[in-house]
Amino acid sequence: MNHRNALFLLTACTLLVACATDPVPDEQLRLTRQAIEQAEAVGGTDEVAELALARNKTAQAEAAVQDGDNKRARLLAEQAELDARLAEAKVLTQKSDEQIAELTRRIARLRQQLGDLQ
Amino acid sequence: MKSLFWMLLPLSLVGCASQEASEALARAEAAYLSVKDDSDVLRAAPKDVVRSGESLGRAERFAGYWGSADDVAHYAYLSERYAQIAREHTDLVEGQARQTRLTMERDRLRLALQEARLLTAEQQGRWLEDQMMALAATETDRGLVMTLGDVLFQAGSAQLSPSANRTLLRLVRFLNLNPKRTIRIEGYSDNRGQAAQNLELSRLRAQAVADFLADLGIDPARMIVQGYGEQYPLTENASARGRAQNRRVEIVFSDAQGTLAPSR
Repeated sequence: MNHRNALFLLTACTLLVACATDPVPDEQLRLTRQAIEQAEAVGGTDEVAELALARNKTAQAEAAVQDGDNKRARLLAEQAELDARLAEAKVLTQKSDEQIAELTRRIARLRQQLGDLQ
Repeated sequence: MKSLFWMLLPLSLVGCASQEASEALARAEAAYLSVKDDSDVLRAAPKDVVRSGESLGRAERFAGYWGSADDVAHYAYLSERYAQIAREHTDLVEGQARQTRLTMERDRLRLALQEARLLTAEQQGRWLEDQMMALAATETDRGLVMTLGDVLFQAGSAQLSPSANRTLLRLVRFLNLNPKRTIRIEGYSDNRGQAAQNLELSRLRAQAVADFLADLGIDPARMIVQGYGEQYPLTENASARGRAQNRRVEIVFSDAQGTLAPSR
């Protein structure tokens, strides 16, 4: 083994150690679960693709914690949190769109009734 | 030669992985670009735009290092998500503003419809009342005249009998529905007894009708009270029946604009 190879191995070992010492992302997982709960609270279901994705990634993150791959767990949990937040926003927007459609229908009916009277 | 291989191996791995990462980066850049200068988005979701930019910056910094394709893809993903969330929030805020406008319009239309329905009911009522009054009143050269017969008063007195209520209440409704119309209430008597007493009684009877109407809210300014006594008999005073017919109160209606025919 020449000098250069030794240096390379040393660097690789340092990197591995750094990976292994990533802490368990408990706080991130808590935030992620909270975001999922919030998306569910506003009426989100698995039919919302982003919410299904968030649940899936959270399960993968929990599995990664079991495997000791804390970095992977953190990345998955971070992504899942934003998936869930996007899901929540989409559910709210969809509800708002439905309410707008309902209001528009009512207004059209009122206009028609007014027209019939005049 | 061997060391060159060691150097190229990781390079090729990075090259493979970064194909995916650079695509993610390109998507994130496009997503961030679409929100960062949109004033609506900046107003609705400023924090998400900032986070999208920060994550994109991180992804771009990682892209400068070997072996960090996963991190590039990760932060690019987060950046794109933040941009999408910002866009979604903007749509939501706009939707809520629209809902507020539509709700106001709906309420306005509801009120208008209620008013229109009330108006129609009132117009229907007015038409019905007009029909009823037309049946009860007679068209004469003095205009529309309604006659309240002797039986609506107690004998020899200006006191209205309870049987007058129905007719007079109908008159009140008609006057309420036709607020511009005015009336002249004219009292008449037969020719028995003293003319001065007859004149007084005829005036008192007409006044009794005016008081009744005023009690029920008809503005006295819309009523003129006049006693005629023995004048203008409807028929001969020879028989009891003829005299009963001559003892009466007549209500002369103005036209719809409030113009009364001149008094006799």
